[in-house]
Amino acid sequence: MKLYYFDNAATSWPKPDSVIRAMEHFFHRIGGNPGRSGHIKAIEAGKVVLNTRELLASMFNIKDPSRIVFTKNATEALNTTLYGVLREGDHAVTTSMEHNSVMRPFNHLKEMGVDLSVARADQTGTVHVDAIKDRIKENTKLVAVIHASNVTGTINDIEKIGRLCKQRNILFLVDAAQTAGVVPIDVDRMNIDFLAFSGHKGLLGPQGTGGLFIRHEKALDPMTRGGTGSLSDKEEQPVFLPDRYESGTLNVIGLAGLGEGVKFILNHGVESIMKHDSRLLDIFLNEVQGDSRFALYGPCGGPGQTGVLSVNIRDISSSKAGDILNRKYGILTRIGLHCAPRAHGSIGTFPDGTVRFSWGYFTKEKDIIKASRALKEIAGTN
Amino acid sequence: MKRRKRKETGGIGSLEGVITFFGSHHALRAESVLKKKGFKAVLIPGPREISPNCGVALRFDYTAKEDVINIFNEYFVHYEDIHHYPEK
Repeated sequence: MKLYYFDNAATSWPKPDSVIRAMEHFFHRIGGNPGRSGHIKAIEAGKVVLNTRELLASMFNIKDPSRIVFTKNATEALNTTLYGVLREGDHAVTTSMEHNSVMRPFNHLKEMGVDLSVARADQTGTVHVDAIKDRIKENTKLVAVIHASNVTGTINDIEKIGRLCKQRNILFLVDAAQTAGVVPIDVDRMNIDFLAFSGHKGLLGPQGTGGLFIRHEKALDPMTRGGTGSLSDKEEQPVFLPDRYESGTLNVIGLAGLGEGVKFILNHGVESIMKHDSRLLDIFLNEVQGDSRFALYGPCGGPGQTGVLSVNIRDISSSKAGDILNRKYGILTRIGLHCAPRAHGSIGTFPDGTVRFSWGYFTKEKDIIKASRALKEIAGTN
Repeated sequence: MKRRKRKETGGIGSLEGVITFFGSHHALRAESVLKKKGFKAVLIPGPREISPNCGVALRFDYTAKEDVINIFNEYFVHYEDIHHYPEK
Protein backbone atom coordinates (compact mmCIF):
# COMPACT_ATOMS: atom_id res chain seq x y z
CA MET A 1 0.00 0.00 0.00
CA LYS A 2 1.22 3.47 -0.84
CA LEU A 3 1.82 5.55 2.27
CA TYR A 4 0.90 9.20 2.71
CA TYR A 5 3.01 10.86 5.35
CA PHE A 6 1.03 13.47 7.29
CA ASP A 7 3.13 13.64 10.44
CA ASN A 8 5.65 16.34 9.54
CA ALA A 9 4.91 18.23 12.76
CA ALA A 10 6.44 15.28 14.64
CA THR A 11 9.37 14.89 12.25
CA SER A 12 9.66 15.79 8.59
CA TRP A 13 9.88 13.06 5.98
CA PRO A 14 11.28 12.58 3.41
CA LYS A 15 14.53 14.53 3.67
CA PRO A 16 16.36 16.07 0.69
CA ASP A 17 18.91 13.65 -0.84
CA SER A 18 21.64 16.20 -0.12
CA VAL A 19 21.01 15.73 3.64
CA ILE A 20 21.63 12.00 3.39
CA ARG A 21 24.67 12.46 1.11
CA ALA A 22 26.29 14.94 3.53
CA MET A 23 25.88 12.48 6.38
CA GLU A 24 27.37 9.65 4.31
CA HIS A 25 30.23 11.91 3.30
CA PHE A 26 30.94 12.75 6.92
CA PHE A 27 31.07 9.09 7.91
CA HIS A 28 33.10 7.99 4.88
CA ARG A 29 35.52 10.88 4.54
CA ILE A 30 35.65 13.13 7.61
CA GLY A 31 34.83 11.49 10.93
CA GLY A 32 36.96 13.68 13.25
CA ASN A 33 36.00 15.36 16.52
CA PRO A 34 35.69 19.15 16.13
CA GLY A 35 37.71 21.35 18.44
CA ARG A 36 39.64 18.46 19.94
CA SER A 37 42.77 18.64 17.86
CA GLY A 38 44.61 20.49 15.13
CA HIS A 39 44.76 17.59 12.66
CA ILE A 40 42.99 17.70 9.35
CA LYS A 41 40.03 15.50 10.32
CA ALA A 42 39.32 17.53 13.46
CA ILE A 43 39.48 20.73 11.40
CA GLU A 44 37.24 19.34 8.65
CA ALA A 45 34.70 18.23 11.27
CA GLY A 46 34.90 21.71 12.83
CA LYS A 47 34.18 23.24 9.42
CA VAL A 48 31.05 21.11 9.08
CA VAL A 49 29.76 22.47 12.41
CA LEU A 50 30.76 26.05 11.53
CA ASN A 51 29.02 25.82 8.16
CA THR A 52 25.75 24.67 9.76
CA ARG A 53 25.99 27.39 12.40
CA GLU A 54 26.56 30.07 9.75
CA LEU A 55 23.67 28.85 7.59
CA LEU A 56 21.29 28.91 10.58
CA ALA A 57 22.55 32.37 11.53
CA SER A 58 21.70 33.64 8.07
CA MET A 59 18.24 32.04 8.24
CA PHE A 60 17.33 33.72 11.57
CA ASN A 61 19.23 37.01 10.96
CA ILE A 62 21.76 36.29 13.72
CA LYS A 63 24.86 38.38 13.13
CA ASP A 64 27.20 36.38 15.37
CA PRO A 65 26.86 32.63 14.60
CA SER A 66 28.61 31.70 17.88
CA ARG A 67 25.35 32.73 19.57
CA ILE A 68 23.77 29.54 18.22
CA VAL A 69 24.53 26.47 20.33
CA PHE A 70 23.58 22.97 19.32
CA THR A 71 21.39 20.66 21.37
CA LYS A 72 19.88 17.27 20.71
CA ASN A 73 16.43 18.74 20.08
CA ALA A 74 14.18 21.73 20.81
CA THR A 75 13.22 20.24 24.19
CA GLU A 76 16.82 20.37 25.39
CA ALA A 77 17.14 23.96 24.16
CA LEU A 78 13.95 24.95 26.01
CA ASN A 79 15.08 23.18 29.19
CA THR A 80 18.49 24.87 28.96
CA THR A 81 16.79 28.26 28.88
CA LEU A 82 14.17 27.67 31.57
CA TYR A 83 16.56 26.06 34.06
CA GLY A 84 19.39 28.42 33.14
CA VAL A 85 17.42 31.64 33.63
CA LEU A 86 14.84 31.05 36.37
CA ARG A 87 15.58 30.96 40.09
CA GLU A 88 13.46 30.72 43.24
CA GLY A 89 11.38 33.87 43.63
CA ASP A 90 11.35 34.71 39.91
CA HIS A 91 8.11 35.04 38.01
CA ALA A 92 7.53 33.81 34.46
CA VAL A 93 4.65 34.04 31.99
CA THR A 94 3.79 31.38 29.45
CA THR A 95 0.73 30.42 27.40
CA SER A 96 -1.90 27.72 27.39
CA MET A 97 -0.73 26.57 23.93
CA GLU A 98 2.67 25.34 25.11
CA HIS A 99 3.93 21.85 24.48
CA ASN A 100 4.98 19.66 27.41
CA SER A 101 8.59 20.50 26.50
CA VAL A 102 7.83 23.84 28.22
CA MET A 103 4.98 22.88 30.59
CA ARG A 104 6.79 20.01 32.30
CA PRO A 105 9.96 21.96 33.12
CA PHE A 106 7.78 24.86 34.29
CA ASN A 107 5.79 22.61 36.61
CA HIS A 108 9.04 21.27 38.05
CA LEU A 109 10.37 24.82 38.44
CA LYS A 110 7.18 25.73 40.32
CA GLU A 111 8.10 23.10 42.89
CA MET A 112 11.45 24.85 43.18
CA GLY A 113 9.82 28.19 44.01
CA VAL A 114 9.36 29.80 40.58
CA ASP A 115 6.05 31.63 40.22
CA LEU A 116 4.25 30.95 36.91
CA SER A 117 1.29 32.59 35.19
CA VAL A 118 -0.34 31.09 32.13
CA ALA A 119 -1.95 33.35 29.50
CA ARG A 120 -4.92 31.57 27.96
CA ALA A 121 -5.30 31.38 24.20
CA ASP A 122 -8.62 31.88 22.44
CA GLN A 123 -10.46 28.98 20.81
CA THR A 124 -8.44 29.23 17.60
CA GLY A 125 -5.25 28.73 19.62
CA THR A 126 -4.19 32.36 19.27
CA VAL A 127 -2.43 34.00 22.22
CA HIS A 128 -3.21 37.71 22.32
CA VAL A 129 -0.54 40.12 23.49
CA ASP A 130 -2.93 41.64 26.05
CA ALA A 131 -3.37 38.25 27.72
CA ILE A 132 0.38 38.21 28.31
CA LYS A 133 0.52 41.88 29.31
CA ASP A 134 -2.15 41.29 31.98
CA ARG A 135 -0.04 38.61 33.64
CA ILE A 136 3.24 40.49 33.85
CA LYS A 137 4.31 41.29 37.43
CA GLU A 138 7.10 43.38 38.93
CA ASN A 139 9.38 40.35 39.23
CA THR A 140 8.61 38.80 35.82
CA LYS A 141 11.93 37.65 34.44
CA LEU A 142 10.92 35.60 31.42
CA VAL A 143 8.08 35.25 28.93
CA ALA A 144 8.00 31.92 27.04
CA VAL A 145 5.76 31.63 23.98
CA ILE A 146 5.28 28.97 21.33
CA HIS A 147 5.68 30.48 17.84
CA ALA A 148 3.16 28.11 16.29
CA SER A 149 1.06 25.45 17.97
CA ASN A 150 1.84 21.83 17.18
CA VAL A 151 -1.85 21.06 17.71
CA THR A 152 -3.55 23.68 15.53
CA GLY A 153 -0.73 25.31 13.56
CA THR A 154 -1.82 28.71 14.91
CA ILE A 155 1.01 31.22 14.46
CA ASN A 156 1.36 33.73 17.27
CA ASP A 157 2.31 37.36 16.74
CA ILE A 158 5.83 37.00 18.09
CA GLU A 159 6.87 40.47 16.95
CA LYS A 160 4.17 42.14 19.06
CA ILE A 161 4.97 40.03 22.12
CA GLY A 162 8.69 40.65 21.61
CA ARG A 163 8.11 44.40 21.56
CA LEU A 164 6.18 44.18 24.84
CA CYS A 165 9.00 42.18 26.46
CA LYS A 166 11.58 44.68 25.28
CA GLN A 167 9.57 47.61 26.66
CA ARG A 168 9.26 45.88 30.03
CA ASN A 169 12.87 44.64 30.04
CA ILE A 170 11.79 40.99 30.28
CA LEU A 171 13.68 38.10 28.66
CA PHE A 172 11.77 36.54 25.76
CA LEU A 173 11.99 32.83 24.90
CA VAL A 174 10.40 31.59 21.67
CA ASP A 175 9.72 27.91 20.98
CA ALA A 176 10.23 27.63 17.23
CA ALA A 177 9.97 23.83 17.05
CA GLN A 178 7.08 24.12 14.59
CA THR A 179 8.21 27.20 12.67
CA ALA A 180 11.97 27.14 12.03
CA GLY A 181 12.32 26.65 8.27
CA VAL A 182 8.63 27.16 7.46
CA VAL A 183 7.85 30.62 8.91
CA PRO A 184 10.28 33.56 8.60
CA ILE A 185 12.09 34.33 11.85
CA ASP A 186 14.23 37.40 12.52
CA VAL A 187 15.61 37.46 16.07
CA ASP A 188 16.31 41.20 15.96
CA ARG A 189 13.05 42.37 14.44
CA MET A 190 11.11 40.09 16.82
CA ASN A 191 13.26 41.00 19.87
CA ILE A 192 13.88 37.35 20.66
CA ASP A 193 16.39 36.72 23.47
CA PHE A 194 16.31 32.92 23.28
CA LEU A 195 15.16 30.96 20.22
CA ALA A 196 14.80 27.20 20.65
CA PHE A 197 14.50 25.21 17.43
CA SER A 198 14.33 21.65 16.24
CA GLY A 199 16.61 20.43 13.45
CA HIS A 200 14.52 17.51 12.21
CA LYS A 201 11.19 19.18 11.49
CA GLY A 202 10.89 22.22 9.22
CA LEU A 203 14.67 22.46 8.86
CA LEU A 204 14.71 19.01 7.19
CA GLY A 205 17.72 17.71 9.12
CA PRO A 206 18.05 14.37 10.92
CA GLN A 207 16.64 13.52 14.33
CA GLY A 208 18.94 14.28 17.25
CA THR A 209 19.61 17.84 16.09
CA GLY A 210 18.34 21.11 17.48
CA GLY A 211 19.67 24.34 18.85
CA LEU A 212 19.30 27.50 20.84
CA PHE A 213 20.05 31.12 19.94
CA ILE A 214 21.33 32.99 23.00
CA ARG A 215 21.34 36.78 23.12
CA HIS A 216 22.30 37.13 26.78
CA GLU A 217 24.74 34.48 27.94
CA LYS A 218 25.26 36.28 31.25
CA ALA A 219 21.62 35.57 32.11
CA LEU A 220 21.94 31.88 31.29
CA ASP A 221 23.71 29.24 33.35
CA PRO A 222 24.72 26.18 31.34
CA MET A 223 22.77 22.99 32.05
CA THR A 224 25.70 20.71 31.27
CA ARG A 225 29.38 21.22 31.99
CA GLY A 226 32.35 19.24 30.70
CA GLY A 227 34.98 18.94 28.01
CA THR A 228 34.87 21.47 25.21
CA GLY A 229 38.33 21.13 23.65
CA SER A 230 39.03 24.70 24.77
CA LEU A 231 40.79 25.91 27.96
CA SER A 232 42.03 22.37 28.55
CA ASP A 233 44.35 23.60 31.30
CA LYS A 234 41.37 24.75 33.41
CA GLU A 235 38.83 22.76 35.40
CA GLU A 236 36.21 25.50 35.18
CA GLN A 237 33.63 25.80 32.40
CA PRO A 238 34.52 28.34 29.67
CA VAL A 239 32.37 31.50 29.77
CA PHE A 240 32.44 32.20 26.01
CA LEU A 241 30.05 31.08 23.30
CA PRO A 242 29.45 28.52 21.93
CA ASP A 243 31.69 26.40 24.20
CA ARG A 244 29.93 27.41 27.44
CA TYR A 245 26.85 25.42 26.35
CA GLU A 246 28.41 22.68 24.21
CA SER A 247 30.11 20.21 26.52
CA GLY A 248 30.94 16.79 25.17
CA THR A 249 31.16 15.72 21.54
CA LEU A 250 28.47 17.17 19.31
CA ASN A 251 26.27 15.16 16.94
CA VAL A 252 28.51 16.19 14.05
CA ILE A 253 27.11 13.69 11.55
CA GLY A 254 23.64 15.02 12.36
CA LEU A 255 24.82 18.60 11.96
CA ALA A 256 26.34 17.70 8.58
CA GLY A 257 22.83 16.68 7.50
CA LEU A 258 21.17 19.66 9.16
CA GLY A 259 23.44 22.08 7.28
CA GLU A 260 22.23 20.64 3.97
CA GLY A 261 18.61 20.83 5.13
CA VAL A 262 19.02 24.51 5.94
CA LYS A 263 20.80 25.10 2.62
CA PHE A 264 17.91 23.42 0.79
CA ILE A 265 15.43 25.75 2.51
CA LEU A 266 17.51 28.88 1.92
CA ASN A 267 17.74 27.96 -1.78
CA HIS A 268 13.97 27.62 -2.04
CA GLY A 269 13.16 30.46 0.37
CA VAL A 270 11.28 30.19 3.68
CA GLU A 271 8.55 32.45 2.28
CA SER A 272 7.92 30.18 -0.69
CA ILE A 273 7.80 27.09 1.55
CA MET A 274 5.29 28.89 3.76
CA LYS A 275 3.21 29.73 0.69
CA HIS A 276 3.30 26.09 -0.42
CA ASP A 277 2.07 24.91 3.01
CA SER A 278 -0.58 27.61 3.06
CA ARG A 279 -1.84 26.70 -0.43
CA LEU A 280 -2.21 23.06 0.63
CA LEU A 281 -4.15 24.20 3.70
CA ASP A 282 -6.56 26.14 1.47
CA ILE A 283 -7.07 23.05 -0.70
CA PHE A 284 -7.71 20.90 2.37
CA LEU A 285 -10.13 23.43 3.85
CA ASN A 286 -11.93 23.77 0.54
CA GLU A 287 -12.67 20.02 0.69
CA VAL A 288 -13.83 19.76 4.30
CA GLN A 289 -14.90 23.21 5.56
CA GLY A 290 -18.66 23.71 5.95
CA ASP A 291 -19.29 19.94 6.12
CA SER A 292 -21.18 19.36 9.36
CA ARG A 293 -19.66 15.89 9.74
CA PHE A 294 -16.33 17.48 10.65
CA ALA A 295 -15.08 19.70 13.44
CA LEU A 296 -12.03 21.73 12.37
CA TYR A 297 -9.71 23.49 14.82
CA GLY A 298 -7.36 26.45 14.62
CA PRO A 299 -7.72 29.67 12.60
CA CYS A 300 -8.66 27.61 9.51
CA GLY A 301 -7.15 29.68 6.78
CA GLY A 302 -5.09 32.76 6.11
CA PRO A 303 -1.40 33.28 6.71
CA GLY A 304 -1.65 32.66 10.47
CA GLN A 305 -1.40 28.88 10.25
CA THR A 306 1.40 26.43 9.48
CA GLY A 307 0.93 23.21 7.50
CA VAL A 308 -1.15 21.65 10.28
CA LEU A 309 -4.86 20.87 10.43
CA SER A 310 -6.51 19.26 13.45
CA VAL A 311 -9.82 17.56 12.67
CA ASN A 312 -12.44 15.40 14.32
CA ILE A 313 -15.13 13.37 12.61
CA ARG A 314 -18.43 13.66 14.47
CA ASP A 315 -19.14 10.61 16.65
CA ILE A 316 -15.85 8.87 15.84
CA SER A 317 -12.98 9.05 18.32
CA SER A 318 -9.70 10.47 17.10
CA SER A 319 -7.98 7.19 17.82
CA LYS A 320 -10.47 5.19 15.78
CA ALA A 321 -10.31 7.64 12.87
CA GLY A 322 -6.51 7.62 12.97
CA ASP A 323 -6.46 3.85 13.00
CA ILE A 324 -8.74 3.61 9.93
CA LEU A 325 -6.68 6.25 8.09
CA ASN A 326 -3.53 4.29 8.82
CA ARG A 327 -4.75 0.77 8.08
CA LYS A 328 -7.26 1.29 5.28
CA TYR A 329 -5.76 4.28 3.47
CA GLY A 330 -2.06 4.33 4.38
CA ILE A 331 -2.51 7.89 5.67
CA LEU A 332 -0.18 8.49 8.60
CA THR A 333 -1.44 11.12 11.06
CA ARG A 334 -1.00 11.76 14.73
CA ILE A 335 -3.99 11.39 16.98
CA GLY A 336 -4.71 12.24 20.61
CA LEU A 337 -3.31 15.10 22.67
CA HIS A 338 0.03 15.76 20.93
CA CYS A 339 1.94 16.27 24.23
CA ALA A 340 -0.01 19.48 24.76
CA PRO A 341 -2.98 18.80 27.08
CA ARG A 342 -3.58 22.44 27.96
CA ALA A 343 -3.58 23.46 24.28
CA HIS A 344 -6.36 20.93 23.72
CA GLY A 345 -8.10 22.45 26.73
CA SER A 346 -7.94 25.86 25.04
CA ILE A 347 -9.55 24.66 21.82
CA GLY A 348 -12.10 22.46 23.61
CA THR A 349 -10.75 19.02 22.68
CA PHE A 350 -9.42 17.80 26.03
CA PRO A 351 -9.30 14.89 26.84
CA ASP A 352 -10.51 13.38 23.54
CA GLY A 353 -7.88 14.97 21.30
CA THR A 354 -7.92 15.37 17.53
CA VAL A 355 -6.63 13.80 14.33
CA ARG A 356 -3.72 15.99 13.25
CA PHE A 357 -2.66 16.21 9.62
CA SER A 358 0.70 17.92 9.14
CA TRP A 359 2.37 18.34 5.77
CA GLY A 360 5.54 19.83 4.37
CA TYR A 361 7.56 20.82 1.33
CA PHE A 362 7.35 17.35 -0.28
CA THR A 363 3.57 16.97 0.17
CA LYS A 364 1.61 17.25 -3.08
CA GLU A 365 -1.83 18.62 -3.80
CA LYS A 366 -3.04 15.13 -4.72
CA ASP A 367 -1.97 13.84 -1.29
CA ILE A 368 -4.20 16.47 0.34
CA ILE A 369 -7.12 15.47 -1.88
CA LYS A 370 -6.52 11.82 -0.97
CA ALA A 371 -6.57 12.70 2.75
CA SER A 372 -9.74 14.78 2.57
CA ARG A 373 -11.57 12.15 0.50
CA ALA A 374 -10.57 9.46 3.00
CA LEU A 375 -11.99 11.58 5.82
CA LYS A 376 -15.28 11.91 3.91
CA GLU A 377 -15.47 8.20 3.28
CA ILE A 378 -14.89 7.42 6.94
CA ALA A 379 -17.50 9.99 7.97
CA GLY A 380 -19.95 8.63 5.38
CA THR A 381 -19.75 5.03 6.45
CA ASN A 382 -20.15 5.83 10.13
CA MET B 1 44.73 15.77 -0.89
CA LYS B 2 48.54 15.64 -1.28
CA ARG B 3 48.51 18.49 -3.80
CA ARG B 4 46.54 20.73 -1.47
CA LYS B 5 48.94 20.08 1.39
CA ARG B 6 51.94 21.07 -0.71
CA LYS B 7 50.21 24.25 -1.79
CA GLU B 8 49.41 25.24 1.80
CA THR B 9 52.82 24.55 3.23
CA GLY B 10 54.45 26.27 0.24
CA GLY B 11 53.06 29.69 1.15
CA ILE B 12 53.33 29.45 4.90
CA GLY B 13 56.94 30.67 5.26
CA SER B 14 56.02 34.29 4.54
CA LEU B 15 53.24 34.26 7.13
CA GLU B 16 54.99 35.50 10.23
CA GLY B 17 51.96 36.09 12.44
CA VAL B 18 50.06 33.60 14.58
CA ILE B 19 46.63 34.29 16.07
CA THR B 20 45.53 32.21 19.03
CA PHE B 21 41.93 31.62 20.04
CA PHE B 22 40.07 30.46 23.14
CA GLY B 23 37.74 28.17 21.19
CA SER B 24 37.87 26.39 17.85
CA HIS B 25 34.67 27.97 16.49
CA HIS B 26 36.43 31.32 16.37
CA ALA B 27 39.62 29.90 14.83
CA LEU B 28 37.70 28.27 12.00
CA ARG B 29 35.48 31.29 11.44
CA ALA B 30 38.57 33.52 11.42
CA GLU B 31 40.12 31.41 8.65
CA SER B 32 36.88 31.43 6.69
CA VAL B 33 36.28 35.21 6.85
CA LEU B 34 39.93 36.12 6.15
CA LYS B 35 39.98 33.90 3.06
CA LYS B 36 36.68 35.41 1.95
CA LYS B 37 38.29 38.85 2.22
CA GLY B 38 41.30 37.73 0.15
CA PHE B 39 43.84 37.29 2.95
CA LYS B 40 46.15 34.32 3.28
CA ALA B 41 45.34 32.30 6.38
CA VAL B 42 46.42 28.78 7.35
CA LEU B 43 45.11 26.80 10.31
CA ILE B 44 47.92 25.16 12.26
CA PRO B 45 48.08 23.11 15.46
CA GLY B 46 48.34 25.73 18.22
CA PRO B 47 51.98 26.13 19.42
CA ARG B 48 51.96 25.15 23.11
CA GLU B 49 54.56 27.77 23.98
CA ILE B 50 52.28 30.68 23.09
CA SER B 51 48.86 29.36 24.16
CA PRO B 52 47.36 26.52 26.17
CA ASN B 53 44.03 27.03 24.42
CA CYS B 54 42.13 25.27 21.68
CA GLY B 55 43.81 22.88 19.31
CA VAL B 56 44.13 25.25 16.36
CA ALA B 57 45.77 28.60 15.71
CA LEU B 58 45.91 30.69 12.55
CA ARG B 59 49.04 31.64 10.66
CA PHE B 60 48.65 34.91 8.73
CA ASP B 61 50.55 37.80 7.17
CA TYR B 62 51.61 39.86 10.22
CA THR B 63 51.86 43.06 8.17
CA ALA B 64 48.06 42.93 7.71
CA LYS B 65 47.45 42.92 11.47
CA GLU B 66 45.30 46.09 11.59
CA ASP B 67 43.04 44.94 8.73
CA VAL B 68 42.68 41.55 10.34
CA ILE B 69 41.57 43.04 13.66
CA ASN B 70 38.97 45.17 11.87
CA ILE B 71 37.63 42.14 10.01
CA PHE B 72 37.42 40.17 13.25
CA ASN B 73 35.41 42.94 14.89
CA GLU B 74 33.07 43.11 11.92
CA TYR B 75 32.45 39.34 11.93
CA PHE B 76 32.30 38.74 15.70
CA VAL B 77 35.47 36.68 15.76
CA HIS B 78 36.96 36.58 19.27
CA TYR B 79 40.68 35.90 19.48
CA GLU B 80 43.01 35.43 22.41
CA ASP B 81 46.15 37.14 21.12
CA ILE B 82 48.15 38.06 18.02
CA HIS B 83 51.81 37.06 18.00
CA HIS B 84 54.77 37.80 15.76
CA TYR B 85 55.95 34.23 15.50
CA PRO B 86 58.02 33.39 12.39
CA GLU B 87 58.41 29.72 11.55
CA LYS B 88 61.63 28.31 12.91
